[in-house]
Amino acid sequence: MKPVIIIDLNSGNLLSLENALRRNDLPLSRIQQPEAYDFSGDEILVLPGQGRFAFISERMNDLGWRHFLTDWISRGGHLVGICVGMQILFEGSDEDPKAAGLGYFQGRCQRLQHPKTPMVGWARLDSDKLNMKDQYAYFVNSYAVSDSPSCTAKVTYGQSFCVAVQKNRVFGFQFHPEKSGRFGRELLHHVCQ
Amino acid sequence: MSVNKYVSDLTPRIIPCLDVAAGRVVKGTRFKQLVDMGDPVELALKYEQQGADELVFLDIKASVDKQPSALAMVTAVAMSLSIPFAVGGGIKTMDDVHRFFHAGADKVTLNTMAVSEPDLINQISRQYGSQSIVVAIDVNREADGELAIYTHGGSQKAALDYHQWVREVVDRGAGEILLTAMHKDGTGSGFDCELLAAFGTDYPVQIIASGGAREPKDFYDAIKAGADAVLAAGIFHRNEYSVTDIKDYLIKKNITMRTTL
Repeated sequence: MKPVIIIDLNSGNLLSLENALRRNDLPLSRIQQPEAYDFSGDEILVLPGQGRFAFISERMNDLGWRHFLTDWISRGGHLVGICVGMQILFEGSDEDPKAAGLGYFQGRCQRLQHPKTPMVGWARLDSDKLNMKDQYAYFVNSYAVSDSPSCTAKVTYGQSFCVAVQKNRVFGFQFHPEKSGRFGRELLHHVCQ
Repeated sequence: MSVNKYVSDLTPRIIPCLDVAAGRVVKGTRFKQLVDMGDPVELALKYEQQGADELVFLDIKASVDKQPSALAMVTAVAMSLSIPFAVGGGIKTMDDVHRFFHAGADKVTLNTMAVSEPDLINQISRQYGSQSIVVAIDVNREADGELAIYTHGGSQKAALDYHQWVREVVDRGAGEILLTAMHKDGTGSGFDCELLAAFGTDYPVQIIASGGAREPKDFYDAIKAGADAVLAAGIFHRNEYSVTDIKDYLIKKNITMRTTL
């Protein structure tokens, strides 16, 4: 089994995510800076995100992740971004227009159009992927990317938006798999193998 | 791309509420006469398996007795559940808030402290985001027909105007309002649909209806009146209906519910 490394940007509670990722045969660790681990290139990086886009963007700079991750994904490395951790894989966000994303996917996050924001709750995924099709996922977000050529699942909230992306071994989920019941746990295990 | 600001794939949530006192789940009638209902983690898992969309734990004794809530219980729940949950009761300061989030809670619920120290709402919203703060409002329709706000587990009347208070908590950054109609709570006479309908479709935050559920139709009426989520305790704890029963009923009535494949 490949080691799973949670990137801890100090932006919130990682208990549920660790709990969801933990399996008997799976080495799991949490690190704050890239130097804290001796990477072989075969690891699976998980990038959770809570809080504002700019906060995540700044922490990436401060802790040395921006350079590391840009290099990692350009070499075909395995990465799973969740919520703002998915958004940061795009170019930017209207939440903090000056903060830079990693730009691995083209596009920017826009504010959701529905009068009730943040979007909080469960929505059924519109996806052709067998492991997501018609499943209900738990969302907490005010911003999202409306579309992407790499989009693998969508939902509608005031407008249709992209809730999952994949290109090579880089996966992004706008919803919270770690809070999405058994479906979410199975999805995490699927993309972390 | 079509934009209709009201279209939404969100499903109305069914939220069992677990009132906790001294590490046990309890249920009172009109906020009094507490009856033991069981172990919080066991009940939480049972409700998750039944299809609960979220859980709320309220340490109702903490607000009255000024005791801190059991953080160990919160962590035990967080380690067992794979759906979101909110905790409330006993939160006095931002330090308490940090402890609850650190212990694994997804949201905190403020009631008495929201009234006595409303700036806490702003602070929590600023630091953790509005989605992490639920303000619980206990409203009672008084004998004269006026709506009054209560705190301290329903035992003290606050000097607040209901409509102004609702507006204020939203302005301060509450992400959701948990609206408990005390005059309905534990009576089994249904939710107060008139209060729910008054919020309207353009209302900027989600409304969780609470107080008065007796049968599946009460959930239907609350959702039809505009509730984004419906919270209930006794009918679940007493095994009168499971969450599955409620959802099956609502699905038959053409309300989209989250189901698990």
